[in-house]
Amino acid sequence: MPPQIPHADPGVPDTRGPFRYIWWLTRSQPWRILRGALFGTVWMVGLALRPYLVSRAVDDGLRAHDRAALLFWVGTIVASGLAMAWVGIMRHRTMTFVREDATARSAEVVLRHLARAGATLPRRLDAGEVATVSGRDIGYVSHVLTFMGPGIGAVIAYAVVAVVLWRIEPVLALLVLVGVPSVVAVIAPLLRRLEAVETDYRRRQGALTARATDIVAGLRVLAGVGGRSLFADRYDRQSAKLRTEGYRVAAVNSWIEGLAIAIPAVFLALVVWSAARLAVQGQITVGEMVGVYGYVAMLTTPCWMLLGSTYDVIRGRVAARRIVALLRVEPEDHAPAGESVTAPAGPADLHDPDSGLTVPAGRLVAVAADDPGTAAALADRLARFATSDVTWGGVPLGAVPLAEVRRRILVADHDAYLFAGPLRTTLSPAGGAVEPGVHAAAAEDVVDALPDGLDTDVDTQGRTLSGGQRQRVRLARAVLADAEVLILVDPTSAVDAHTEARIAERLRAARAGRTTVLVATSPLLLGQADEVAFLRGGRVTATGDHHGLLARDSAYRALVARGADEDAEVAG
Amino acid sequence: MTALPVADRVTTRRSSRDLLRGERRAVVVVLLLQAAAAAAGLAAPRLLGAIVDDVLQGATVARIDRLALAIAVCTLVQGVLLRYGYLAGYRLGERAIARLREWFVRRTLDLPTAVVERAGTGDLANRSSVDVATVGTMVRDVVPIMLISSAQLLLLFGAVFLIHPMLGLVALAGLPSILAVTRWYLRRASPAYLAEGAASADLTESLTTTAEGARTVEALRLGDERITSGTDRVARQWATRRRTLGLRSVFYPVVEGSYGLPVAAVLLAGGVLARDGSVSIGDVVAAALLLQQAIEPLDRMLQFIEQAQRGVASYARVLGVGFGVPEQRGVAPVPGDERIVVRDARFAYTAGHDVLHGIDLDLRPGERLAIVGPSGAGKSTLARLLAGTEAPDTGSVTLGGVPVADIEPARRRQLIALVTQEHHVFIGTLRDNLSFAAPDATDGEMLSALVAVGADWYAALPDGLDTRLGEGARQLGPADAQQLALARIVLADPHTLILDEATAALDPTTARRTERSLAAVLGGRTVIAIAHRLNTARDADRVAVLADGRITELGTHDELVDAGGPYAALWRSWHG
Repeated sequence: MPPQIPHADPGVPDTRGPFRYIWWLTRSQPWRILRGALFGTVWMVGLALRPYLVSRAVDDGLRAHDRAALLFWVGTIVASGLAMAWVGIMRHRTMTFVREDATARSAEVVLRHLARAGATLPRRLDAGEVATVSGRDIGYVSHVLTFMGPGIGAVIAYAVVAVVLWRIEPVLALLVLVGVPSVVAVIAPLLRRLEAVETDYRRRQGALTARATDIVAGLRVLAGVGGRSLFADRYDRQSAKLRTEGYRVAAVNSWIEGLAIAIPAVFLALVVWSAARLAVQGQITVGEMVGVYGYVAMLTTPCWMLLGSTYDVIRGRVAARRIVALLRVEPEDHAPAGESVTAPAGPADLHDPDSGLTVPAGRLVAVAADDPGTAAALADRLARFATSDVTWGGVPLGAVPLAEVRRRILVADHDAYLFAGPLRTTLSPAGGAVEPGVHAAAAEDVVDALPDGLDTDVDTQGRTLSGGQRQRVRLARAVLADAEVLILVDPTSAVDAHTEARIAERLRAARAGRTTVLVATSPLLLGQADEVAFLRGGRVTATGDHHGLLARDSAYRALVARGADEDAEVAG
Repeated sequence: MTALPVADRVTTRRSSRDLLRGERRAVVVVLLLQAAAAAAGLAAPRLLGAIVDDVLQGATVARIDRLALAIAVCTLVQGVLLRYGYLAGYRLGERAIARLREWFVRRTLDLPTAVVERAGTGDLANRSSVDVATVGTMVRDVVPIMLISSAQLLLLFGAVFLIHPMLGLVALAGLPSILAVTRWYLRRASPAYLAEGAASADLTESLTTTAEGARTVEALRLGDERITSGTDRVARQWATRRRTLGLRSVFYPVVEGSYGLPVAAVLLAGGVLARDGSVSIGDVVAAALLLQQAIEPLDRMLQFIEQAQRGVASYARVLGVGFGVPEQRGVAPVPGDERIVVRDARFAYTAGHDVLHGIDLDLRPGERLAIVGPSGAGKSTLARLLAGTEAPDTGSVTLGGVPVADIEPARRRQLIALVTQEHHVFIGTLRDNLSFAAPDATDGEMLSALVAVGADWYAALPDGLDTRLGEGARQLGPADAQQLALARIVLADPHTLILDEATAALDPTTARRTERSLAAVLGGRTVIAIAHRLNTARDADRVAVLADGRITELGTHDELVDAGGPYAALWRSWHG
């Protein structure tokens, strides 16, 4: 039965250890795994069937010149071939279902965990690690689950062949039963070495590919400055180096591949020789001799499978450990120890004792900071992305339930993340009209420039947009979130002055009567604020309206006429 | 966006021959060695057949020993021949793929900037990474496997034919069904597997970005939305995998079911032929074993055939870069002076939608001109015309009387440099990252360039100019990267500099730092700055206001403020 993917509820993973995690995935689909084991066993044992049938056809049909017997055995060969084809595909399908169920379940629990892990996640887990877990580890772990079927099947198949061979001739049986695993055991490390050499080559190849991609990514820079032939020459040299490395790899690998074919073949010759001597002495029949030849070829399959599965389990355990580590990362909520308190029922003043800033409810307050770092820290405190003594309507913000804070207070960073998807969904994940936000952010031209307007898919982090366009998309999204308190950090730093002037007016209108904190140094924005707080060294040193501050505070004047400080000229 | 072309079938076939040109001897050697190895591999079943006949006729043990020894010797010979066959094949593949990738990079570097701009770098990046790698795997691994397997198959079936033509004929019993199902499968497999790969990459991207954007997820309470969208991708991945499983569910059983047919047919026909004595029982056994042996190479071929098909498709895309018109190699004479003159320049990316409607502009050498205007007014397009990366549809943009776009590109870049908000740090040392702007620059000149732009981070580098930068090595922040870009400009020393919002993508602190570095670069050059900050405009010698593809105001800052037009209004609101 195919699994129901995605799962309505993937369940709660067991994160006490890598094998516990794998066991959890197993427990989630016990019957499917059993069915896989059954098909795997039948298929593997079935592999022994054809050599047996061929040997019977030779002995009973060909040698005996018995047409009926020959027809019967040949018919059985065809029928068993068809039956094996069916068993084979059922095995493959069931195994695929087992792996896909586990893969989807792992992806689902990882996804749920990441979506809830909170702001500090990137600091504790870099994105490369998540990519490794998703792109590789989840698959490795799923592979472990399909170990059972072939594993059990391989052992049973081996036993069946042992019994058959034993009944033909015990000495020959011993030779084959010990010989085949030994040959596999000899070749396996050779192939492992081949894999290692190949891995190294592929790593270098990957580095060269990265170079080519790097050149492509920098084409526009090269267009502006030049130096193309230099890059082509350098690439040629590196490419030649890889070619030489490839020659070296080829010298080693070709030996290994030659041996991997020659060693089993020599062993096969040894078996044929022993069997033929027994046949000459009349101890076994010719058909049995031909059968032995077939069993040797067939036995390598379960031996390889067992060996491969061992490798899968080792690899899967390492992968499961990484998944478990990721699932154990817990969010931080910056709450002080102690009782939680009830949030103010409606809009209320925010006060930050560290800087001395007070944000009156329902007002548009701008913060102009001489050091952007202190302004960002202030925004973090006000929105409780950091531990602080901020009060909200008189109660400590840290003691209010976090969900309530997040619902009502929103901080929009200038580098807030943009997820890939249609622009409409990016702007308003919950749905609803996006036009008011687009208007407030003066982003109509951003929408118009896209081929399908609001329905255009925008890349992760808006890579295809210009800096100014990206920023307006972020601003539109923040406005549309319609938070009771909105804290905007440098919302227009990449926008041209014409557009910024428009945004300043529209933003004010969009947020009329609601609490808004605007961290900015642009006079166009500051001019629209009900009140401006001037933050120097992290403390509020002056408050008032923009024009008032311009008139009486020279440091403020120097700050907002950006660039003027470098020119040693004060705008006035 | 104008997509880059893809090579057609004929070109692809011709180019594959070109790729092996001068390699005829190597190809012959590979084929001979592989054929000899496969022939040696036939010995075991053939000799086993001889043993069967001998046993039936009551041979001596000594004869059996000799035959068994012969099998062992043939096997060892096969091993050695295989080794040299593989070696020659790998080396050949290695050379071919090296030639192809080097050709690709050169062609890519020769593409005119305008073609790259319009196609977008995404497509090219995909071709340079995915397609070149896919072709590499094909040439290095898949082609040898296909060659060797088909040689083995030919010999195996040929050997059965030699035993008895009738046996050879019936041995083909399984072939029609295998061919039919393979054709069916190939028509569907590549897109299905590509979709599967894309769906997996999508899911990984969804998980990775959820982790990267964790702060935004928490702030905007996007958790549920991320789960929904991620779950959606889990579902899509499952759908694509069910699709490929469905294809295999047809392909595998038909192929596997067909494997029994040749053996069965040969035994049956052998039974009939053995009756009248035209073949021995040993011959029939040998034929059956040869066919049993054919399963492995056939299986391998079928396993890789889909990859081979994908390799050919990638190869066509790689070749596609060869169809772009290479950048003109300078038809215009070297300009006499530094005067840039724009006369009635019009430009459209798509015919009928003019972005610029007749621009007239005279630049005085050494002056600073600021271009301001709302988004979409055509500022960046004007910058490209001035830099010569695009030519006007009508009208002219000239430097010293010569059309800028016609100047030989390498020379043009020494005269006019364009700095955009895009910056890129190439993989390589810091020296590599600087020297391409001025190949003859000494270390001392590079250091002074870095000092000039205020790149104080240089002092912290462990190996100075030899420090490795870029992906996989030391990463520079956006401001540092932009300073590096400016240091290149200092080294290239062009007389004219076009700044297209060079600091717009940076956060405000970084932007301020970079602007300071910029000031060091501007001295003594003609500067055209597209500005979104009015203080930049105020500091310029002249200001041009661009609106809807036209210059609506032009003059010094003071003149424009006095004129009381839109610029003056903007200035007043900015200025407070």
